[in-house]
Amino acid sequence: MRNSYDIAIIGAGPAGMSAAITAVKAGSTVVVLDDKKQAGGQIYRNVSHSPLPNPESLGSDYTKGRSLVAEFEASGVIALWESTVWHVGDKGEILFSQKGVTKSLTAREIIISCGAMERPFPVPGWHLPGVMSAGSAQVMLKNDAMVRDNAVFVGTGPLLYLIVAQYIRLGVEVKALVDTTPLSSYTGSAPYFPGALAHARMLVKGMGLLNEIRKAGVTVYRFAENIAIEGDTEAKSIKFNCGGSQIKFSAEHVFLHQGVIPNLNMTRSLGVDHHWCAQQLCWKPTLDIWGESSVASIAVAGDCSGIVGADAAVDMGRVVALQRLVRLDLITEKIRDQLAADALARIKKLNRFRKFIDRLYRPQDLHRIPQQEDTVVCRCEEQTVGQLKAGFDAGANGPDELKGLTRCGMGPCQGRQCGHTVSELLAQWRGVTVSDIGYYRLRSPMRLLNLSELSQFTHVAPGYTEEKS
Amino acid sequence: MNADVIIIGGGIQGCATAYQLAQAGASVIVLEKDRVSRHASGVNAGGVRVLGRHVAEVALSKASMELWPQLDVELDADTGFRARSLINIAADESDLEILAKREQQMHALGYLHEKRLDQQELRERLPYVSPSCVGGVVSEEDGYAIPYKSTFAFRNAAERHGATFLEGVEVAQIRKIGPHWLVDAGSQRFESQYLVNCSGAWADQISVMIGDNVPLTHSAPMLMITTRMPHFATPVVGAVSRPLSFKQFENGTVLIGGGAKGFADRENNRTRLDYSKLAVGAKNAIEFFPIMKTAAVNRMWSGLEAYMPDNLPVIGKSVSADNAFHAFGFSAHGFQMGPIIGKVMAELVLTGVSSFDLNAFRVDRFERKVL
Ligand SMILES: Cc1cc2nc3c(=O)[nH]c(=O)nc-3n(C[C@H](O)[C@H](O)[C@H](O)COP(=O)(O)OP(=O)(O)OC[C@H]3O[C@@H](n4cnc5c(N)ncnc54)[C@H](O)[C@@H]3O)c2cc1C
Repeated sequence: MRNSYDIAIIGAGPAGMSAAITAVKAGSTVVVLDDKKQAGGQIYRNVSHSPLPNPESLGSDYTKGRSLVAEFEASGVIALWESTVWHVGDKGEILFSQKGVTKSLTAREIIISCGAMERPFPVPGWHLPGVMSAGSAQVMLKNDAMVRDNAVFVGTGPLLYLIVAQYIRLGVEVKALVDTTPLSSYTGSAPYFPGALAHARMLVKGMGLLNEIRKAGVTVYRFAENIAIEGDTEAKSIKFNCGGSQIKFSAEHVFLHQGVIPNLNMTRSLGVDHHWCAQQLCWKPTLDIWGESSVASIAVAGDCSGIVGADAAVDMGRVVALQRLVRLDLITEKIRDQLAADALARIKKLNRFRKFIDRLYRPQDLHRIPQQEDTVVCRCEEQTVGQLKAGFDAGANGPDELKGLTRCGMGPCQGRQCGHTVSELLAQWRGVTVSDIGYYRLRSPMRLLNLSELSQFTHVAPGYTEEKS
Repeated sequence: MNADVIIIGGGIQGCATAYQLAQAGASVIVLEKDRVSRHASGVNAGGVRVLGRHVAEVALSKASMELWPQLDVELDADTGFRARSLINIAADESDLEILAKREQQMHALGYLHEKRLDQQELRERLPYVSPSCVGGVVSEEDGYAIPYKSTFAFRNAAERHGATFLEGVEVAQIRKIGPHWLVDAGSQRFESQYLVNCSGAWADQISVMIGDNVPLTHSAPMLMITTRMPHFATPVVGAVSRPLSFKQFENGTVLIGGGAKGFADRENNRTRLDYSKLAVGAKNAIEFFPIMKTAAVNRMWSGLEAYMPDNLPVIGKSVSADNAFHAFGFSAHGFQMGPIIGKVMAELVLTGVSSFDLNAFRVDRFERKVL
């Protein structure tokens, strides 16, 4: 009996589902792991089992995920739901927790498609209760049909406008949209506009959302900067500069958002090479066009390879899976090239659109690299800019050194919330590039692990099926 | 670049030695291939213990223990040292017998710092210990410190006294020309009168360059730390014969060790964890302290450590070259020794002799007679 899977896919979002469909069709043994209860990932979360009476109000970008989820479910792929992967080894080993037990499996090829996370928004007061991310507003909505009345939405980027529009469609009162896209981003992105025209439909949709928000009568502040949320123990008010004056009003629910960045803890813990991407202002695993990392058996697809969006993620999942099939000797390179041609061409086109979008919604320096001494950088260990600077002055000039001296990045989020900020702060203090600084050295587990959970191991191999609950 | 002394290795031994030498007025260069405190000295369990030491080490270890409480003042830094006592738990009768024998041996040598505890005393000091545990032994002065901060404290103090630390400089070749050591590291060349080998898990390579062969091995002991838990243990905890060791810090996090080893890949500065062994460690912790059942592990890691066959370090002069000295092979308990090792090495460099008996730590103690 075979003890290993051909391909293990971590994350069942657009990239993971598409990779799985492609791989299963070619006859490989595939296992998909996801910590959710069903396929969809962040964008298509619950798309086929929505708790909302009218999921159409979330928009066609959401509901169009249904056909992909259906195809995935019909493909016969083995999926292990509610499985949180906490270790991936470079020898094909995967350790995960499922319902309180540690399980292990091995696979010859691993595709990491665990998506993106929201970019931290480290402004004064972002750590206060009452302040959340726009992404968490999405999760509450899609999972539990829950909303917050009278919330203030702050930041930039399509996902922010989308959630505001969704709130409006559901009839939820929105207090204000504080848009931090600076004027310079409109001019700065103009040269990339022609490249984006091929995706006119998407452009129109973006503009449409903003129009919808304005038409609905929501107060919109444009070109806002120097955001600060105030309150002693919880958010009470928000202030910012806008049009040359300072504006301040009460705000008990604030949703922040300035784009998404790849979810890198898995690829980082694996030790694959990463590089700093100046276009997207984030770290990315270094990959070839087939998504292969510096560790040959590890490939990355979708937003955790760099932000590509749902459509490109589907194409990428396919392309990455095809190359895995070549490595498994299930198809030839020639077949791969034929089957991948359309997807690769679409990815190329979408890249041009990305350039425009990335420039237009580029988060401002002052909202990424906090300058005020008392702004919290590491939320888990409550380390402020001032405390980190003191560690730097004491001789810690790299992320790991700073972690060793100040404990920043040591908490349960494993540096997800402070990693990028720390890299950028150190680059600024030392007057070098972010690439020169690097990132935390990370280790498994990628999530908190119960001690009794760890103390028992079960092995999972092909042929294993889950009892239906 | 020239200096009186070149120290190879920026771990706690190299940093403490640099501090003592620089303070005494010597010019010192520390060459570190990665970053100061990157290896064992920055990632160890921070245990500062005299309890259970091999008799050959007790004198040095006790002398180091006297230095720890004063380090913060002396180095003008925060090492995080806390004297919390260390208790080794006896799980059964045979553990108690081991303890009785050990006591005889220690008392005969005049060492009185290890005190036996009966079951009642154990429970008073560790209310959450499993009722099945029968007793233990305590050393009151032991405790812990924060490894990274402690090593950095020595480094910064050494720098204030004029020592130079060069990071990212890997020693590739060592030669002796006349009375001078020539040390090559890539394109850089250094010269000194004295050489000190504090290169941890790589120390056999440096030894060979100096001319001393040594049966050093390296391995990767593993650790894990939990998120904050309600306070349940003040002393540092170990076990007489089981792989169990943990300490709860002031912030509530619990660091769990116990000697389980992962896989070491020193060429690539990497270690791999052995999760099935960590699982055994987890089981042990829960068995001795049921309260840990719900503890949430936040991070796991391991570091590269140097081991000698007898688990005792090499401390002393080179046998094949003048003006070269070794301090390595601490076999997973060298952090506590750092402060005194700095003094001993400075003594050796500056006067040629140490006030401690270093016979058990000779570099050539495993050399076989030529037949
Ligand atoms: C997981 C773990 C837990 C431990 N727990 C404890 C504990 O609780 N209590 C305790 O007392 N001890 C403990 N120890 C042991 C203790 O950490 C070590 O004994 C001690 O830190 C050794 O210090 P060092 O300076 O000799 O070595 P290191 O800190 O390893 O320093 C050696 C340095 O030499 C450098 N180097 C090597 N070769 C070269 C070269 N060619 N050129 C330039 N530089 C070079 C290396 O990069 C390294 O930085 C533990 C160790 C580990 C790994």
